[in-house]
Amino acid sequence: MKLLIVSRFDRSARAINTIAKYVRIGNELGHHVALFSEPIDDMPDLATSRDATSFDYVMFVVYETPDFPDLPYLAYLLDGVPRERRIIIDCTGRYNETIQVEHDFNHLEKMDNHMGWEWIDGFAAVARTVLQPTLLPIRPEARGFLFHGFDPAAVDRHYDSAEQAARSWAGTTADPKQYGMVYVGNNWQRWSQMRSLLKSIEAIKQRVGPTCLAGWAWDHRPDWAAELGVSGIDTDPDMLRQMGVELPGNMSFDQVIPFVSQAKFCPVIHRPLFNHLGIVTNRTFETFCSDTIPLLMLPSQMIESIYGPAARVLAVGDDVACHIQDILRCPEIYWDAILKTRAYLADRHSFQRRFDELSAIAAK
Amino acid sequence: MRILFVMDQRVDRGSIQSVSNYVRAGDKAGHEIALYGRTDPRFPTIRFSMAVGSFDYAVFLVESWRHWMSALRMPRILAEIPRQRRAIVDSDGMYNQIVSPDNYDRNYLYEQTRAEWFAHYQIVADKIFQPTFVPREPGVRKALFYGYDPSQLISAQASPAKAYDILCVGHNWWRWRQISGELLPAIERVRPQIGDIAFIGSWWDTIPAGAAELEVESAFGTDPEWLQRLRIQIKPSVSYTRVVNVMSTGRVNIMTQRPLFRELKLLTSKFFEIFSADTTPLVMLDPDHAEMVYGPAGRELALCDGIAEKLVDVLSRPKKYREIVDEVRKHLQRNHTYLNRVQELVAALQE
Repeated sequence: MKLLIVSRFDRSARAINTIAKYVRIGNELGHHVALFSEPIDDMPDLATSRDATSFDYVMFVVYETPDFPDLPYLAYLLDGVPRERRIIIDCTGRYNETIQVEHDFNHLEKMDNHMGWEWIDGFAAVARTVLQPTLLPIRPEARGFLFHGFDPAAVDRHYDSAEQAARSWAGTTADPKQYGMVYVGNNWQRWSQMRSLLKSIEAIKQRVGPTCLAGWAWDHRPDWAAELGVSGIDTDPDMLRQMGVELPGNMSFDQVIPFVSQAKFCPVIHRPLFNHLGIVTNRTFETFCSDTIPLLMLPSQMIESIYGPAARVLAVGDDVACHIQDILRCPEIYWDAILKTRAYLADRHSFQRRFDELSAIAAK
Repeated sequence: MRILFVMDQRVDRGSIQSVSNYVRAGDKAGHEIALYGRTDPRFPTIRFSMAVGSFDYAVFLVESWRHWMSALRMPRILAEIPRQRRAIVDSDGMYNQIVSPDNYDRNYLYEQTRAEWFAHYQIVADKIFQPTFVPREPGVRKALFYGYDPSQLISAQASPAKAYDILCVGHNWWRWRQISGELLPAIERVRPQIGDIAFIGSWWDTIPAGAAELEVESAFGTDPEWLQRLRIQIKPSVSYTRVVNVMSTGRVNIMTQRPLFRELKLLTSKFFEIFSADTTPLVMLDPDHAEMVYGPAGRELALCDGIAEKLVDVLSRPKKYREIVDEVRKHLQRNHTYLNRVQELVAALQE
């Protein structure tokens, strides 16, 4: 498959890790995959091309309207590649009627000046195939394709057994972890869940260890959000300071796995909208590459359908503190679940699988 | 002819008033004119249409940003209406070389940005119109575009009560240098002789978030304390459907224009809608410029020298100025109605 990926390429945002995997793993698998761009200075190893006509398919990876290229490139792609060979990956469920879940939403005119219908009309005009990273798309015209995947080669530390993993994780056979809990992700529609998590572990924070939230806007609410009255980028700098939470800011995608490995725990949190739509993200899979115990804060149905049955024990119930204390007491049980889940992900959600699925969809 | 306008419509700014007038005047002239989109209750006077392919021409109304011409909006239009039947009305003079009056206002900060706009325009449309008497760039055609609708005139009998002596309805976008350098000092000199004053619009008391990031902070100068000291009330912007009525609550309405527009002699909706209101418009233009648009009587309404004295004179001699304003309205009715504009646009598209 010759695949040209069109999006905005930023080292610390959106699907950059997944996109980089498509290029690297895709080319290793014998596909020809490149990014629609001039060579990118800070990602020189990622193949780029402006020659859309030499590819079988153009795949637009879309979160926001600027993920589409500006004119004249847009016109060049539309003129040079027939609609049948254009694919959109709708990463945030835009290709739906307007949905609001709590204060999360898939369309918001006051942020991008596009009304809900424009997303549907616009996507349909650009591409014959609109794929959403969910197992159950709502719109019949959209198809489910998880897009993101698990790369077993990216696993930070491999273990032969849960016991070995647990001893290493506890600092018995390896250096102790620097952090109790870290989270890497931008503060967009995640604060209510994060706040609740931090409050839940406040009483046991001495046992857990230091906390770090890496990503955009954990330290302040941007002025524009206040001006537009957009909820979902809330934060509480005083509370975070009081809890001693480190806020290092944005992090490049290639630093995430080793950074998360420095923590005992890493929550897997999806936006309320994504929980509603069953949308997965890069972090859904990537967290399992780090040497950490994921705290799965997702709907139970989603946990089982994405991660397989072994992951059930990694689900955080209502009593987070109790769950964490149990992990600290018996980490082996949880590492057993992680190792089994990694194997499940490698089998069901590898990037090779994704290429097979994408090829099958495109061929139809 | 069937004409589809495409724009980033806002209820309280830009050219939406003129689109409303084109729809109405087009019906009278036998042309079907609509705006791309779905019916929207915020725009009750606008006919919307999604049937892109059924229109003879698409006319893009471009103001000072272009990213609204996004991949969600453009593909259908580009696919269904060929380039030779697409035109741009370049409302903000972006299709010019870099113009920066007094190194303050400007159409572009960087040559690279200018080149990108030009490339963008050349892909989008075959014809580029500018609402000016004097286009500068080769290939740009003159199309005054904005106009006057006599049927919108609010008579003295139908006018709301006068709540202000002076109103300034507009947004504080590249206007502060003129306001702070010319208008406010004049008001200060004669403030006791003037009743209530209000500025209605955005950004008179705050600078929007993101202005610095977008390198447009200098477009938003303000001095809330000074405005307060002069007892100038700041009110939020109003919908285009109410703007003429709101203007009619002022005995005098002052029209300011950003320096770039004055330099390029660009017209806007405001040039004409202010004459639909029951008020005495004063325009902060030089008299020659005012005469070019409004005819000889327009010179009397130009607010450039002796501003303080002029304000007092207008407020104290309403009858004299009413006659001048009526004279200008007659000129507008002869030369600048939307019926004229529709015919001019149709002819320009067919050229």
